[in-house]
Amino acid sequence: MNYTFDFNAVSLRPLIEGLVVTLELTVAANLIGVVLGFPLALLLMSRIVVIRWPATLFVEFFRCTPAIVQIVWFFYCVPMLFNVFLGSMTMGILALGLNLMAFNAEAYRAAIQAVPREQIDAGIALGLNPLQRVVYIVLPNALRASVPVLLTNGIVIFQQSALVAIVAVQDLMYQAKTLATETYRPIETFTIAALIYFAVSFPVAQVVGWLERRRQVLTS
Amino acid sequence: MTSASAPLVSIRALHKSYGPHIQVLKGLDIEMKPGERVVVIGPSGGGKSTLLRVVMGLEKIDSGSVTFGGRPYISSAGAGAKTVIDTEVRRSIGMVFQHYTLFPHLSVVQNLVLAPCKVRGEKKASAVRRAEALLERFGLAAKANAYPAQLSGGQKQRVAIARALMLDPKLMLFDEVTSALDPELVAEVEQVILQLAGQDMPMMIVTHDMWFAKNIASRVIFCAGGVVVEDGPPEQVLGAPREERTREFIDRVFHIKQ
Repeated sequence: MNYTFDFNAVSLRPLIEGLVVTLELTVAANLIGVVLGFPLALLLMSRIVVIRWPATLFVEFFRCTPAIVQIVWFFYCVPMLFNVFLGSMTMGILALGLNLMAFNAEAYRAAIQAVPREQIDAGIALGLNPLQRVVYIVLPNALRASVPVLLTNGIVIFQQSALVAIVAVQDLMYQAKTLATETYRPIETFTIAALIYFAVSFPVAQVVGWLERRRQVLTS
Repeated sequence: MTSASAPLVSIRALHKSYGPHIQVLKGLDIEMKPGERVVVIGPSGGGKSTLLRVVMGLEKIDSGSVTFGGRPYISSAGAGAKTVIDTEVRRSIGMVFQHYTLFPHLSVVQNLVLAPCKVRGEKKASAVRRAEALLERFGLAAKANAYPAQLSGGQKQRVAIARALMLDPKLMLFDEVTSALDPELVAEVEQVILQLAGQDMPMMIVTHDMWFAKNIASRVIFCAGGVVVEDGPPEQVLGAPREERTREFIDRVFHIKQ
């Protein structure tokens, strides 16, 4: 291979601008996912079928279809079906946010259902009423347990957000693609783009690992 | 409200099953007087723990009734009928479980004051004062701000006992509270329970520790196959059982111990 690398040909500026957009997408999607995922989890656990069933369908739709299909579907179908025209950024945030909401709802549900039955028995034995048991025992236990999973889902969305480049959101991936075409330096450009994604994801992944190890010590 | 001879707990024709095929309690009748310390022994699956859980109001029952201090407490009319539990009566009963069940997200003192503050509306400062006094008495003063994960099994179980006592129970239930402990930690927990016994706290205890049973019981009930097989003073049930099944069980337990 007689290819001469030239990383200087790739200007970082558009990539950094793209990273800012990617981070905006990530933060906005995480806000939707972390906040709305919780009530969705409650719906998933409802005893009433007409509440549980649509919630389950919503979650399974996002879990069982490729994210890229969801994004494209959103981009084309929402304007046609609902007659609303939103900017591509808003569309991207909605698609990623709803996706994350589905995954986070599952994380919350699993964490709530993993609270040992004995903890609730202890609450009954102490005279706490059902609402107090949920507020003072189940939720604090469950929310702590769900933090590592929420963070992991959060980084996954950070990476998945690269998919919105195909609907013209000017994120890191979009900028990289443009730059690669302009400079004829795809190898250098995409290498740098990958390194930027890595530089953000890796520390968060380490934090998740640390939190999980700490939790194992605390709950043993 | 109750005279000395009136029963504290009165269990009548108690039936309880898990699912359609597993009958755990098959018509249990137990009457417990105030000040009694009843130790329930018997083979695994004989319904000992279920009995305690029913008295705590943690289980639905098929039929039968439980009264507490003369008040109707738990009842069910029969198969398929709803179990009615008087939650106000339930609050005068405290329970300690095999696996400590401390709340892991709360410190020791927070574990103790949660129920008094939330259930009885006690002022935090007053509850904390009582909690600290109780911890002091149980040799846990230094651990007030520790979290459950930082405690040994024996410490956790003593905290669990203190937590139950914060609500001034009229009856304490101990469900195999030393079974999960390392052998060298058993004594410190049993000491605390013996200390309570010295203050005439009525209690119902399920244990496999025959030495402890002998020391604490004012009465021993041998429970097997979901019924009371033998019921009497510890000298009788543990020392010279009248029933064949009790004798077999006692022989086997003491044989293993030796």
